[in-house]
Amino acid sequence: MPDSDTRSVARYGRWLQRSVGPHFTVGIGSSEGGLLWPESSAELAGTLSSLPCAELECLPSMQRLDSADGPIYLRAITLPDACGAGWLVAIARHDAAPSDIELDALADAMDDVAAALDDATHLNTEMDLLAGELAERYEELHLVYEIDRHLANQDLGTEVLQDLLQSCAEQLNADVACFVRPADNLTISATNLSKPIHNLDLVLVEMRGDLFRFVSSSRTTLVINNTDDPRRAYIFTDMPYKVLACPVFQGIEMPAMLVLLNHDSKPDFSNSDRRLGEVMAHQIANVMHMQGMFAEMRRFTEQMAAALIEAVEAKDPYTRGHSERVHLLSMRLGQGLRLRTEEMENLHWGSLLHDVGKIGIPDAVLCKPGRLTSDEYTFIKVHPERSYEILRHVDRLKGAIEGARHHQEKFDGTGYPHGLRGTSIPLLARIIAVADTYDSITSSRAYRAGSTHEAAVKEMTRVSGTQLDPELLDVFLRICDDDPALLVKLGVRREWDDR
Amino acid sequence: MKRLLVVDDEPHVARVLRVSLAKDGWSVETARDGAEALRVIANNPPDVMITDIQMPGMGGEELCRELHASLPHRPFPILVMTSMTARDQRDWARDLGSIEFLEKPVSPRRIAALLAQLLSQEKHNA
Repeated sequence: MPDSDTRSVARYGRWLQRSVGPHFTVGIGSSEGGLLWPESSAELAGTLSSLPCAELECLPSMQRLDSADGPIYLRAITLPDACGAGWLVAIARHDAAPSDIELDALADAMDDVAAALDDATHLNTEMDLLAGELAERYEELHLVYEIDRHLANQDLGTEVLQDLLQSCAEQLNADVACFVRPADNLTISATNLSKPIHNLDLVLVEMRGDLFRFVSSSRTTLVINNTDDPRRAYIFTDMPYKVLACPVFQGIEMPAMLVLLNHDSKPDFSNSDRRLGEVMAHQIANVMHMQGMFAEMRRFTEQMAAALIEAVEAKDPYTRGHSERVHLLSMRLGQGLRLRTEEMENLHWGSLLHDVGKIGIPDAVLCKPGRLTSDEYTFIKVHPERSYEILRHVDRLKGAIEGARHHQEKFDGTGYPHGLRGTSIPLLARIIAVADTYDSITSSRAYRAGSTHEAAVKEMTRVSGTQLDPELLDVFLRICDDDPALLVKLGVRREWDDR
Repeated sequence: MKRLLVVDDEPHVARVLRVSLAKDGWSVETARDGAEALRVIANNPPDVMITDIQMPGMGGEELCRELHASLPHRPFPILVMTSMTARDQRDWARDLGSIEFLEKPVSPRRIAALLAQLLSQEKHNA
């Protein structure tokens, strides 16, 4: 018996001794008749061990037994904590038999102690139940914290699901955790293998079929632990794993599920696992919902941008596709320069929308098939500033605006609108300038056919350092040399096309 | 049954562990501070000990030092529960034998997994 239990047995023993006074010697024994308290009473120990304690009926009141040493009084009790049943024992100290009043008092005292012990045992059992419940809740809370921590550090790509599954597999100590969405053939999985799984890929693919249909028809969590569970016939034939599959809802739809697999040698999936799985499925549903909103926002932004570009390009059929081509070339140049993700995002919008300001130029000027007068040219020169004025209303484009505003600046400071020089021209604007110049030379206009790639290279090399940033131009030319397919994609003519 | 000694001044910690580890075959004993833990260990060393750091009376660090002094070849591993912020305050344990750290908050499942892992390591080393 652990220390703390011994101490508490002694406390109850002393209490009983105090209540009955000097007429009796009392003790506490185990159900088999061993003396637990007081440790030093040979008389009690001897008497107790001579009795067939294990065979006595455990009555909820005091009983008298006659031993070789005289009468002994016993009362069945529950011992503290998980120590099982036992006895309160008493023998009379004097030779004279105890009076009825003394015996009544002894029986009452024993009843009181027994009731207190019962209460303590009940409380203890209840506390254990609560502690068990607490442990489970704590487990859930812990999982939610863990998920929360993952979500806080992530944007909402597919990696976030991968991460969630990994932590799910570890927290729930499952061999495999996977997310299955059959509509787009998506299966994301994480493993925490206790031993290898053969053909895991095949197992994962198989889930999209029967298992998903089974879960989506019942719309509740499926737990299969036994190998001979008859439901296995409906889901898969040769998968000897324990399965926990939770539906992932979006509104009333069930587009996906979360599946945990364990080897047969692992413990069964418990009710607590089931609840944790459901918590996890719920969190995944939230992530999916956010991903959906995020994608929709993105789509909306792209479409709004496309509409704006359409508005510009509708004014001059010859510039059709110009924004898209400048965008493509700028992004390639940005990749070549290894820009950071954030800068690439700014370059993306800046290059797509660089000509938005042309909306403000009269059609007669913009589409004029000949040389412009200096008044007309003034109109053209305000378009980058117009782009700025239009785009500055959009917070998200804050980092992209400078690229559009300064794409007509020249490296030697003779450009417009601000006459910036060299590297004081924002990098994004210098990139867009290279792409814009290339596309202007190689694409056809109302009054001329587009030049060949080689002619464009020659012209751009000529203005390197005066109009264009020479370092960026070098990178650009290298990209063109390395990837002739890019030029084909852009529809640029080559020198040999003319022959 | 494998015996786990939980040293913590908060009794609910030991109770939660006792209840949740019972199904893995652990019997949990408790001590409310380092001094009580030393008495339990002198009587009957456990298979693993988990201790808190901050306790009234003898704390976790002193307990580990005392144990190292009195039992240089301590036959059981120790898990020390510590808060996240105390990452850099673990150097003291370096020369005191097999001591692992557990970052609070830690879930009972995680403890169960760690205990199993520790025991198999011990078996492997023995």
